[in-house]
Amino acid sequence: MDYGAMDIDQVGPRVIIRESFPNRADFVLEHVDLAFANSLRRTMLAEVPTMAIDLVEVDENTSVLADEFIAHRLGLIPLNSKQIEDVLYTRDCDCDQYCENCSITLTMHAKCTGDEIMKVYARDLVVAEPRPNEWVGNPVITDEAGLGPVICKLRKGQAVRMKCIAKKGIAKEHAKWAPTSAIGFEYDPNNKLRHLDYWYEVDPIKEWPVDDRNASWESEGGPQQDDETFDYNAVPSRFFFDLESIGNLEPDAVVQQGIKVMQQKLAAVLQELAGDENRNGNAGGDGFGVQEPDGMQGGDYGVDQGYTTPYVNPGATSQWGGGATPYGATPYGQSGWNQ
Amino acid sequence: MNAPDRFDTFLLGDGEKKVTEVADTRIPSASTFTFNKEDHTLGNLLRSQLLKSPHVKYSGYRIPHPLVSSFELRIQTDSTLTPRAALQQACRELVSDLSTLSREFTKEWELRKMVGDGAKGDDKDGKGKVPGR
Ligand SMILES: [Zn+2]
Repeated sequence: MDYGAMDIDQVGPRVIIRESFPNRADFVLEHVDLAFANSLRRTMLAEVPTMAIDLVEVDENTSVLADEFIAHRLGLIPLNSKQIEDVLYTRDCDCDQYCENCSITLTMHAKCTGDEIMKVYARDLVVAEPRPNEWVGNPVITDEAGLGPVICKLRKGQAVRMKCIAKKGIAKEHAKWAPTSAIGFEYDPNNKLRHLDYWYEVDPIKEWPVDDRNASWESEGGPQQDDETFDYNAVPSRFFFDLESIGNLEPDAVVQQGIKVMQQKLAAVLQELAGDENRNGNAGGDGFGVQEPDGMQGGDYGVDQGYTTPYVNPGATSQWGGGATPYGATPYGQSGWNQ
Repeated sequence: MNAPDRFDTFLLGDGEKKVTEVADTRIPSASTFTFNKEDHTLGNLLRSQLLKSPHVKYSGYRIPHPLVSSFELRIQTDSTLTPRAALQQACRELVSDLSTLSREFTKEWELRKMVGDGAKGDDKDGKGKVPGR
């Protein structure tokens, strides 16, 4: 195939991390188009899997709050979701309802015996063992006192006893599975591309303050000058991300997982297209169409540094690594990819 | 009451296929692909990537109904490759770009951790500023 015209893109995406904190990543993404950047943003917001309480069995609740009120609060408590690949989706699991491969059980048992009002915190949730790995399901606690969010308050004699089942899910199903509280996203802070047509009272320059920090990164300099000609062919290529994590995943993990989810989507499409060919044509019967994207994760691929891309061959850590041709030998559609 | 289940937006139904192709009967090298249980995230991404190929004459996507989670991607190519081949190529290029991005991000993040480690722990609420470039 002719890749000659792709020369400009040979560089591939570039990242500059401007700030990094335990719960925040501020980075600039360059050499990609708007669609790519926006798809990454959308994926990180809605499709990165995390753990959250999804089922609550109420044994006792004599607090002033209704069962479902507390159940809802429990669902919103961030749970550690590190290396969530170790956890199966319940729908993909062999078990009847839920089991230790696809869920984590947390129990909340509290009774107020003193005269003081008692608060029940996330730290009071007891995580049952065994679980898929040593972190998943731990309530995220970031305050200095080590308490976590308040779940409910109890008066003397009141008690709550609940069994909570945490499952793996994505924010597209319910926002409680969201890994981020927000992702700041901006491009072309000076509006040179005129993608925006500002509404204004008197003077749009005064009424719509520019983000100086982002604007100063634009090599093209300050706001549009009156004598500057408008480049109607220009497209955005630099994107400012400011990602805030809820604490269930570290901000860099959210980015990496987002990338992985996008790759899984594309791999699923490639598989379907290749599978069709197999059925129509050479009937290779190499199991191409049978594999599901979910089946691709897990131990089969070994654990390389941090994140295993979902489609690589066992043993081959990076199909795309190095090399002058990033579009070179791909594992798709080649006989070598039968496993 | 009659609201569809939330997972209907991303889980394929029984026997439902991720992608199906319908070739245009009147225009050569033109096809409409229907993607099930996908949205703008994939639709716009593929549309945009396809347009980068010199062999793709037309690429556009639409979501026929906002409550039905599927989109249609229409591709017309010159005769050097089929719409399907163009789509496969676009997918491979994106997978490759994403791998590059993953590597770049890991590299930059590690670098950042080494350089700005002081800033990492101090600022619990993550609101602090570290001098930029
Ligand atoms: Zn199970």
